[in-house]
Amino acid sequence: MATLSLDALSKTYPNGVTALHGVDLIIDDGELVVVVGPSGCGKSTLLRMLAGLESISSGELAIDGRRVNDLEPAQRDIAMVFQNYALYPHMSVADNMGYALKNQGVPRAERRRKVEETARLIGLEDLLDRRPKQLSGGQRQRVAMGRAIVREPKVFLFDEPLSNLDAKLRVQMRIEIRRLQKRLGVTAVYVTHDQVEAMTLADRLVVMNGGHIEQVGTPMHLYDQPASRFVASFIGSPSMNFIEARHADGVLTLPCGTHLPLRDGSPAEIGDAVCLGVRPEHLVQVSHSDDTTLVTEVELVEPLGADTLAHVRLDGQAELLVARLDGAQHIAEGERLYLRPDPERLHLFDPQEGHRLAAPETAS
Amino acid sequence: MATFQRHRLTPWLLLSPQLAIVAIFFFWPAFQAVIQAFYVQDPFGLGRAFVAFENFTRVLGSAEYYRALGTTVTFSISVALGAMALALLLAVLADRVIKGAHGYKTLLIWPYAVAPAVAGVLWVFMLDPELGLVSAWLGAMGIDWNHQLNGGQAMALVIMASIWKQMSYNFVFFLAGLQAIPKSLLEAAAIDNAGPWRRFWTITFPLLSPTSFFLLVMNSVYAFFETFGTIDATTAGGPGGATRTLVYKVYEDGFIGYDLGSSAAQSVLLMLLVGLLTLLQFRYLERKVQY
Amino acid sequence: MRYRRPGLDIASHVLLILALIAFCLPVWLAITAATHDQAALYTGTAPLWFGDQGLDNFRAILSEPVARLGTDVARLLFNSTVMALGIACGKIVIAILAAYAIVFFRFPLRRLCFWLIFITLMLPVEVRIMPTYKIAADLNLLNSYAGLILPLIASATATFLFRQFYMTVPPDLLEAARVDGAGPWRFLKDILLPLSKTNIAALFVIMFLYGWNQYLWPLLITTESDYMTIVVSLKRLLSSADNLVPWQAVMATALLAMLPPVAVIVLMQRYFVKGLVDAEK
Repeated sequence: MATLSLDALSKTYPNGVTALHGVDLIIDDGELVVVVGPSGCGKSTLLRMLAGLESISSGELAIDGRRVNDLEPAQRDIAMVFQNYALYPHMSVADNMGYALKNQGVPRAERRRKVEETARLIGLEDLLDRRPKQLSGGQRQRVAMGRAIVREPKVFLFDEPLSNLDAKLRVQMRIEIRRLQKRLGVTAVYVTHDQVEAMTLADRLVVMNGGHIEQVGTPMHLYDQPASRFVASFIGSPSMNFIEARHADGVLTLPCGTHLPLRDGSPAEIGDAVCLGVRPEHLVQVSHSDDTTLVTEVELVEPLGADTLAHVRLDGQAELLVARLDGAQHIAEGERLYLRPDPERLHLFDPQEGHRLAAPETAS
Repeated sequence: MATFQRHRLTPWLLLSPQLAIVAIFFFWPAFQAVIQAFYVQDPFGLGRAFVAFENFTRVLGSAEYYRALGTTVTFSISVALGAMALALLLAVLADRVIKGAHGYKTLLIWPYAVAPAVAGVLWVFMLDPELGLVSAWLGAMGIDWNHQLNGGQAMALVIMASIWKQMSYNFVFFLAGLQAIPKSLLEAAAIDNAGPWRRFWTITFPLLSPTSFFLLVMNSVYAFFETFGTIDATTAGGPGGATRTLVYKVYEDGFIGYDLGSSAAQSVLLMLLVGLLTLLQFRYLERKVQY
Repeated sequence: MRYRRPGLDIASHVLLILALIAFCLPVWLAITAATHDQAALYTGTAPLWFGDQGLDNFRAILSEPVARLGTDVARLLFNSTVMALGIACGKIVIAILAAYAIVFFRFPLRRLCFWLIFITLMLPVEVRIMPTYKIAADLNLLNSYAGLILPLIASATATFLFRQFYMTVPPDLLEAARVDGAGPWRFLKDILLPLSKTNIAALFVIMFLYGWNQYLWPLLITTESDYMTIVVSLKRLLSSADNLVPWQAVMATALLAMLPPVAVIVLMQRYFVKGLVDAEK
């Protein structure tokens, strides 16, 4: 039960490399915040600084208003679930879970009681005497979780905890983590590079890139209103399509000759050149072409069952566009496809800087 | 590597026993040896005089020293190559038979546990000119064996005893090296129509080169130093200095001849020699012969 | 495997067995010689079969002072045991601590300490024997167990092996332990030592052999027979200026000198091989 406040946290390694450039963030009590970004973006460094495993170069870190910059991990009242589980191979499941309590000087009987209680909560009660080697990947994951839960910490830290599991187990554990965190009501910070995991788990999402926070918000907010081209391409799968376009008097002109009128006319901050972003699911198939449709040729079809992804070529565009179409439809490669971008769902970005230009407001 | 931070005193506390022992029994004596090498000390330990490089020039100018160097080289190369060749042959045989490889390992491993001095004593008994069994067999073949008089035979005796002890060490490594070679490579070679002989020289032997190189270094170190016990217990450097190696000469000049300056100078020369060998080994450790 | 040739397999077994016989011959002859009395030995060449004096020979050297030694062999065995155990345990303890500091801590001069320790791998005691002897004499260590043990634990082989092992311990484990509230000493006791059990066993075997089989250092440092080791005693038994060599006693002593290390290596073969092969990496 705690709030976390990060004030201009920075990390510079002795070799001069800066991994984190002044991160500001407030994490509310009981909230599950997911930090997501490509590898090398600084998300793991950030988490390890919260844990106390990396020193803080500058800035302030406080848990419940208490400055913890210089405290050892154990003094911060946090628990961490590691990517490779980091279970002690020579200890039984029960001893693994109870090790932190033992170090705190909790008497044996009480330790046993707490470990058993937690084991029941996460379905490990039959495995308490086993060694980690005798467990499956999913069971080890559970023990790692149990080890964190049994201590009743103020904050849970998760470092890509599901990346070593197979796809099916990952979905199952994802749901379980979410349920447990809500049930226990503990503040949690969860790091992952998997944006689906990030979207489904998060109360709030923090997207990081190059040691900076790009955007913070609810998953749907980030989906609907990405603050930058980076966030737009990172959130949502398949990734957003980008088309370089010209703008004049509230109308976009695409290289292929299509004209798209902007809904709100022509806001002042939009210049001549813009980068138009359209998500694959917001390209709507129409039966005939007119001035506002994209005339494309299908190069590759990926049927997913419910949906079909069509990779299509557009005149004047080097990269293929992706459209998410109804799976019931039969599309053949080489076929001509007319697509209309949903005018409610257009995103405009600065072509150089990549930041969001005045948003065409979404229906929500 | 994850580490403990914020602990300043603890690492020094942990290191202190090792550092103390190393300082007292390694660096201080090594330093003393270097200093001593530049002095001449009178045999009663009453005084000493600085003589600069005289000890070195005296050592390097004496025919005795080069004779000992020659003996060392002959002895070391014979022991290293002999112990390795024999071990490789037996390891290849043991690796072939699969069934029983482990049994042979158990039966061949124990000579490694025998002290070099004890190994020497066992061989001296077998080859004793009066009642040795093997020397009697040799006599029946027309070889008159007496290592107490014949320098060449004395050398042969210490070489054989040294090989006998060291072979099992090499055998363990070669067998491990052979068992680590993927069988698919040999099967591929067999499909390419290579017979056993050719398979060994074109596939197995090159793939063993990291092991072989490592063993070469270890065997040289063994032949240089650890065989002191073998030599002292059997021939004591004799007859007539035929088995006097460099290490034996350091001991003899220092502890029997009380020529401390010369002994120290020889120690320094040996250190340089071993330093050179070790540099070779470290270079090897850093970038092993790789495949 | 079709490419195998059964003829070669049989030849392999034959050669291996011949080699085994050759390798066992020196020990076989030692055993047979130790079971005859001296007079019987000197009637011809060494016997290939056992005599009936075995028990008497061993009883004699173990319970009565032996002529050229001034003490009985039981005392020598005890000295060797003290030395070998002292060296093995001493080396292991200081190596565990030193390697722990070097791998799991960052502190000023760490690299220097590393090199100071590992440079000792280069120079065995034989090279610096004179000055080491002098220091041992200055420290009053001649004819003492400390003198037999301490200088020989100066080498860093064990430290090097532990360092190699520690570097394979997943970093996550240390971090998990830190989050779980374990400080350096707890981590060592609760996590690292239990994980090092096999390595400790392997090193124990190697260091026990190393200690037991020492020759030059104990030869120099022990002038009194009370501290003489069994390996060193053999030369004294052999060096007969005038008398005949008492081969039955020499061989019985040699067998007793071999027995403990050979027993250790055979019983702990698994660890020993692992220790050796790991040492290479």
